[in-house]
Amino acid sequence: MRPEAVIEKLRELREHALKQGARVQIRWSSEDSRMVRYANSAVSLNSHEAITRLEVMAIGDHQQASASLTADEEDLEAMRATVDKAIRMLPFASKLSYQPSLPNIQKTSISEASYDPAVEQLTSREVVDFVNQATQGLESDDILLSGNFSSGSAVTAAISTATPEVVYWRASDIGITLVLASEKRKWEINAEQFVYKKNDLDARALHDRLSWLSKLYQTQEETRIPEGPCKVVMGPAAVAEYLGYLGYLGYQGGMMKRGFSMFRETDVGKRVMSSLFTLTEDPSLKETFAMPVDFYGRTRDRRKIIDQGKLTGFIWDQQSADEFQEEATGHDVNNLSILVQGGTEEVKTIQELAQMPREEDILYVPFMHYMNAVNPSEGQLTAISRFGALLLKKDGSIQLPYNVRFTEKMKELFGDKLQWMSKHTVPYGSSSHYYGREPYAILVPSLTCFDGVKVEISNESFG
Amino acid sequence: MTLDWKNQIRRLTDQGASYADVRYYPKEEEDFLLMWNGNLLAFNRSETSGFGVRVLADGAWGFAASSSLNDIQATFDRALENARAAAGRLKRPIRLADKEAVKGCFDSPCQTDPFEIPLEDKLALMKELDGFIDQPGVQQRRVMISTSKRTVHYYDSEGAEIEKRIIDIFPSIQVAAMDADGVQQERKYLPPRLGPSRGWETMDRDHWQGEAERIVREMNQLLTAPACPKDRLSVILLPDMMYLQVHETIGHPLELDRILGYELSYAGGSFVRLEDFGKLQYGSKKLNARADATLINSPGSFGYDDDGVPAQNRMLIDQGILVGALTSRQMVTEANDKAGRQLFDSSGGACRACDFNRVPLERMTNINIDPGEDGSLEDIIKGTEKGLLLSGDKSWSIGSNREQFHFATDIGWLIEDGEQKHVLKNCSYSGMTLEFYRSLSAVGDESTWQVQYVDNCGKGVPGQVMQLGHGVPVCRFDHVKVGD
Repeated sequence: MRPEAVIEKLRELREHALKQGARVQIRWSSEDSRMVRYANSAVSLNSHEAITRLEVMAIGDHQQASASLTADEEDLEAMRATVDKAIRMLPFASKLSYQPSLPNIQKTSISEASYDPAVEQLTSREVVDFVNQATQGLESDDILLSGNFSSGSAVTAAISTATPEVVYWRASDIGITLVLASEKRKWEINAEQFVYKKNDLDARALHDRLSWLSKLYQTQEETRIPEGPCKVVMGPAAVAEYLGYLGYLGYQGGMMKRGFSMFRETDVGKRVMSSLFTLTEDPSLKETFAMPVDFYGRTRDRRKIIDQGKLTGFIWDQQSADEFQEEATGHDVNNLSILVQGGTEEVKTIQELAQMPREEDILYVPFMHYMNAVNPSEGQLTAISRFGALLLKKDGSIQLPYNVRFTEKMKELFGDKLQWMSKHTVPYGSSSHYYGREPYAILVPSLTCFDGVKVEISNESFG
Repeated sequence: MTLDWKNQIRRLTDQGASYADVRYYPKEEEDFLLMWNGNLLAFNRSETSGFGVRVLADGAWGFAASSSLNDIQATFDRALENARAAAGRLKRPIRLADKEAVKGCFDSPCQTDPFEIPLEDKLALMKELDGFIDQPGVQQRRVMISTSKRTVHYYDSEGAEIEKRIIDIFPSIQVAAMDADGVQQERKYLPPRLGPSRGWETMDRDHWQGEAERIVREMNQLLTAPACPKDRLSVILLPDMMYLQVHETIGHPLELDRILGYELSYAGGSFVRLEDFGKLQYGSKKLNARADATLINSPGSFGYDDDGVPAQNRMLIDQGILVGALTSRQMVTEANDKAGRQLFDSSGGACRACDFNRVPLERMTNINIDPGEDGSLEDIIKGTEKGLLLSGDKSWSIGSNREQFHFATDIGWLIEDGEQKHVLKNCSYSGMTLEFYRSLSAVGDESTWQVQYVDNCGKGVPGQVMQLGHGVPVCRFDHVKVGD
């Protein structure tokens, strides 16, 4: 559906609410998603979905109530009924301690900087050809391919009864995960890619990584890592996993007020992490599927949240700002556009790092699996390595370590334990969460080194 | 509408599809209420409708879904095209295990439809629950009630026609406060299934009041409690922790699609191999586990799965030996073919999708541990020299093949010389799955057995969140690594 058609529908729904004297905000989201899944070196599923969702929030005197709908994009009657439902529910809502804000969008904005229509037109044939190129010559009777090629587009648009202006955002994305795994030995390696433009797809880059790891995994010696501290270099996927939790349990003001943050109000202006660490939220970064205008119509600015280790402040979404009487910081968006500033090291890839001389063993961890917060208010996280870890021995050889578990506090890991970061940053993200297509990516250094990371549990085999 | 689905299916089989099915959700409703420190932060009613079509053609799966009923023919065609395109990269044609073409209905047991409860009554109860936990010492308090009601119409090309009407309710309360070290301590309560049904009648006010008092008391005890020691001890898991242990380290590793490598790109694989069935000593002789989709008051019971196979009750682990898995029609034939013998006689009816726009996968039903013969909780404590009694899942992290785990719990108590002593905070334990279950030294009797629910089990790409249950007794495991 064209942006103009979505905007027109939202305005019709707004009129419908205004006729009832209601104050509402209405959010439209739709997706057109394709997924080609691989398992055991075959396409295990080829799927497509086209879904439209509407959410209506009615706002009263210290009250709010919402109704949502997943239905036909042309079914205005059902959408009006959803508006009516939210309005009817409102009188029953318990009084809040604060007055919720209604978006007051001053100017219609249409943001499509991360949208490439060619992504929507990708055919199954093109996807299969691409994956064939990326994995050519790498599979065997024992080494089988699994993976996902997810592509599509997502639209989000918002309006309120305050004004007829609309915030409209559309993005396309392609998220690729390719896994090669040995059936007999149970090792796994992977390569991933996240782009918003079809022309940015790079089968060769995926092939290079898989090919290099696969050769090592077929020829080098397996080893068990001893429990205890070690030097670790993490790839972008692993670091991105930690940074996701930093967003959730770190600089969100609402979470801090609710006791679920590792930071306190008194930490503002203080060094909370290493001086090597600078984290910025930058809505101009197209690779992060950025929204330049938030759902309240605020034009968003670049902001350093952690500046050379110092916490500059918390970010406040509108609901948290209303509740805790803070000023909203323009972060009412689908996902934040995070950039972790690269460091000073030239090394870009694990292949380069493996060639470099080293004074001690280095454990390379590309991916952290099943991360969870053991203690949110301490920022203590636990996770296990996965997908092609390597032990770079100080004698220059490379061994294949079994998976290990780390349980670390974020402030320590990105504090004293942070040693160096690559200059180069790469996007790492995802196409969707459990409830719909919502592409995001964060820009992280391609390699990040930590020292003294404690191996808590060390597997005795790959399986 | 009935005829149209069947005609669409027939149209595809006329074009060469070897199998097709459709799941139509005319209306799925969900209410989500969240009250945090007295503020009703979420008061949402959602409605979903749509349909998903699965087609087997040229030996491969295609799937398409839409929320638009103006799109039916095009969506069916798309599913067939997708299957044909997938067949271009195929190792072996997909075959489905035989099943009977069932015509049936399932209604989850419910005395009072939560969607017929006036909103003011629901909110009044929420406020009352909030009042129960708004007590001295509590800094953060949360009340959540989620209710769902869905109708699913299923048709397939083998002649099955099934209608399911399922109602569920998932309530919880949680309290938290900072201890003297500035660390947040929490305590929560998610009720076990207390009666034979799954509707609003399960919301017993008096029961909630008693449990609210208990968790507030325990939270306050945590604030001044010493920390969990680092040691190797016996751990006694109460059902509100044992359910998650079972979920993560029995349920997930026994999903047959995981065993066959179908989830390697995201959720992971399994340490279990096909040759392990009938042989692998999964746990001590006291371990008896089953997948029981007939446990009527639990969300892992649904009448018929999304392959059209009736719900079943099947053993998974029999006196410690691995004997079964969670299976679907596709995976049992693949496993049997791969093993070169009949490991599974038919589908175990465990194939479900969370919604119309997702493809069915192996999902847990109700993964239960049979009650044992080691008496009550008090009996088990009396028989423990030194250990921890643990309750309330706080965090969980599992290896990619489910071979190792790390859990943190809300609360623990020290057990010494057969007596329950003081409260401990920041409790955690970790281990390797097989070693852990082989150390199972006591299984509580029927008096300790409870059915816990899970409303947020995640799996699949694109992701799916599923509801299911676990009937578990109190269990004790020995020589377990505790403390971080």
